[in-house]
Amino acid sequence: MTENRGLFEKICNDLVELKDTSEMMIDLAYSALLLNSHHLAEEVLMLEDRVDHLHTEFELLVLSAKVESQDVRGLLGLIRMGVVTERIADAAAEIAEVVIRSGEPHPVLTMVIQDAEETVERVVVGEGSPIVGKTLKAAKIPEETGMWVLIIRRGDRWIRPKPSTILNAGDVIMAAGYAEGEDDLKKLLNSEEN
Amino acid sequence: MTEVERVKYTPASVRETLIMMKDISELMIDLAYSSALFNNRELAEEVMELERKMDTLVYILNMNLMLAARDKDDAESLAGVAKVGSLTNSISDAAADIAGIVLNDIGIHPIVMEVFQRTEEHQARVRIAEESMLAGKTVDDLDLAAEVGVDVIALRRGKHWMINPEKEILTPGDVLVARGTESGLEKLVSAARGEVEKLD
Repeated sequence: MTENRGLFEKICNDLVELKDTSEMMIDLAYSALLLNSHHLAEEVLMLEDRVDHLHTEFELLVLSAKVESQDVRGLLGLIRMGVVTERIADAAAEIAEVVIRSGEPHPVLTMVIQDAEETVERVVVGEGSPIVGKTLKAAKIPEETGMWVLIIRRGDRWIRPKPSTILNAGDVIMAAGYAEGEDDLKKLLNSEEN
Repeated sequence: MTEVERVKYTPASVRETLIMMKDISELMIDLAYSSALFNNRELAEEVMELERKMDTLVYILNMNLMLAARDKDDAESLAGVAKVGSLTNSISDAAADIAGIVLNDIGIHPIVMEVFQRTEEHQARVRIAEESMLAGKTVDDLDLAAEVGVDVIALRRGKHWMINPEKEILTPGDVLVARGTESGLEKLVSAARGEVEKLD
């Protein structure tokens, strides 16, 4: 088992990311639907690519574990759990596809949409923005713009917003709120040009 | 073989049915992960129970959608709603598969416990003590989501499990299963054990 320790560490990391990402995708997919946001739906589809890749890596790692025959059932449990996260991610991606496919939402769907006044904006943080290097709490985005951050994309990673998250130039921020906040948000995050 | 029932048409609001399905699917995922984390068959059986409810709701949703379509424009957009309903059902099927890992004794690898400690969502299980400040209050009264950032997803009283117990008056001896941030869950656990007078 000892030679497996490094391997199990990697398996654990992958499963943590699969679970977190699949749950993030459901949240974002439902938000994309309820807010009728193509931007958010596109993020979900990008995350789906990441999950597919990660899931394959995870399964290969589990299959390469050398264990005694009595421990094989535990490995099967791991594989099954990985499959579940992948299926959840697939369902989230398909919900996102429904959003992208639909033009103007049907009255029945509009009733589901929380508030027709709400919108989702996708903005890149500019070098000159005063929020660069600040935590999300200190950046006071909701106070300044009336919009709140749903998700942050940094390179090929997606970060769930926490008060302690530090914002970098180049971060892609998806924020929801009332349409009037859009201009304030762009001004605060870009602070050079649009 | 489980018994499969015929589903009769019931008039229902598409919006409310869809939102109910979304809530149930999310609850099922939480409960399913709890059942794996605590290797608990009863929680896994609750997931299966909700899965049957979900199967019925999909039929009800689709029947009401069919009656709501008046022309081809309606059909085009309602097809999307039906698709979302069926995907919500897929999510609940995935949750049921986790419960299946527990119910079929496939085996919960020790790594799983470690995985749950590192994920963003944490879960905790705690018994309410005699002297707990939670006793005598309902989950709604306590407003746990706003106060400490946790949700109570299930409650066990004696042999009975209650799912999403919002209006239930908490009683000493009840076992709570909750999810949320690590620090929020610590606060809930201290309050349940009667170690603190206030939640924050």
